[in-house]
Amino acid sequence: MSIIFEVVVYLAVGAGYWWWAQNLSFFGLVPNLIFAAALCAAILAGPVKGIAWGFFLGLYADILGSNLFGGNALAYTIMAYAVYVVKRHFDMDSPFSQLVAAFSLSWVWLFFYQGLSIIFSRPGNLDLRVFLTEPFLNAFAVPVMFPVFYQLKRRFGVL
Amino acid sequence: MSREKDAANYAVVFFTAISVLLLLFPVSKIAHTVRIAVSYSLYPSLHYGARYTHYIRNVPDNFVRLLETDQENRALKEKVRVLEVRLQSAAALEAENERLAVGMRLSRALPWAGSWARVINKTPADWYGSFFIDKGSDHGIAVNDAVLGIEGGRAGVAGRIFEVYPKFSKVLLLTNSAASAVCSLAPDGLEALVEGKGTWMLKLNYVPEEARLVEGAEVLTSPGGLLFPAGVLVGKVGKIYQRESFMNFITADIIPAVNVNTIKEVFVVKRNLPEELLGARQVEKK
Repeated sequence: MSIIFEVVVYLAVGAGYWWWAQNLSFFGLVPNLIFAAALCAAILAGPVKGIAWGFFLGLYADILGSNLFGGNALAYTIMAYAVYVVKRHFDMDSPFSQLVAAFSLSWVWLFFYQGLSIIFSRPGNLDLRVFLTEPFLNAFAVPVMFPVFYQLKRRFGVL
Repeated sequence: MSREKDAANYAVVFFTAISVLLLLFPVSKIAHTVRIAVSYSLYPSLHYGARYTHYIRNVPDNFVRLLETDQENRALKEKVRVLEVRLQSAAALEAENERLAVGMRLSRALPWAGSWARVINKTPADWYGSFFIDKGSDHGIAVNDAVLGIEGGRAGVAGRIFEVYPKFSKVLLLTNSAASAVCSLAPDGLEALVEGKGTWMLKLNYVPEEARLVEGAEVLTSPGGLLFPAGVLVGKVGKIYQRESFMNFITADIIPAVNVNTIKEVFVVKRNLPEELLGARQVEKK
């Protein structure tokens, strides 16, 4: 039963991000809800599930774009694994630690994705506007999204 | 704990391997089919963007009536407001009418067959990379068809069709860092390559250093370029960079003829190119 809820939550995250991007974008900027969901899942779920969530959410992000297919999937997979390692040593449940993690991982992800672009295609597709603002938006999105995922886990066994 | 660690290690290796395979085989038939199937299944705007009523089809009648009353109330309020600002909106409608009329006249004057389409979806993460239009294979759209935008009463290159679905298509914009077009420069007709940079501006490359290049010169698509019809405006030469580093070429910024931030409708030119010229993927299908 929980797998059905997980699929529903997965689709809801994608649809939510799409809706936000279409209706609430400010100068073309929105918090990356897919990134935020991948980070929340990595913090809350067990290692295998967290990594799987990262991979599939990354795949969704890849579908939205036209650049590297598999780039976000790889980045989110590795991010989920890194969070699994880090959360054994640090408390990731507090909003402040989530904020810091989201902020720093956003930039790591942007650099990593740019690195992949250099290797697999060509550099130069990094929008400076996104690079400078998205980590801040993500940093505030994760502590807001985390309680939602926490409740989903408690009530429906998702993650 | 060790078991959990092993599971995590296996999982990360497994998903990393799949991701790398997807990265390595982006144009293989299987990867492309998987991408289209997943995209078709998961992208909400493509299915329900213009059909929100689909969501309430199984809702009880009394609730639907309540919703309808509320909608009617809102519609009436909206109507009152519309009547109040009719004079102002008439001017805007007139401007839009004029813009579309210019576009339609231009499309009749264009020497290529094609169809108009609306831009239905832009993704913030890929703003200068791609967008979706509301025409697909059901409307005769095919991969690599040229996509033109109309600006200032003149057609300009916006991009080309990248993925085709039955009801919609994905357009790869010329501003995408993976896109390029062979162009000719006025007045000498010198050929050079225009490349996307992932920003609003384009880059002109491979211009010999002895070439006469002036700011403001028009850049048109060249007959030597396969993907775009010849003679379509690509943009105008901006800043010129004389001989970058060790290369014996001049490069320049190109201000695109079509602004992707304001484009609402596009004209898709049916190319009917010979299949042998369409690239590996098409040939592979045969």
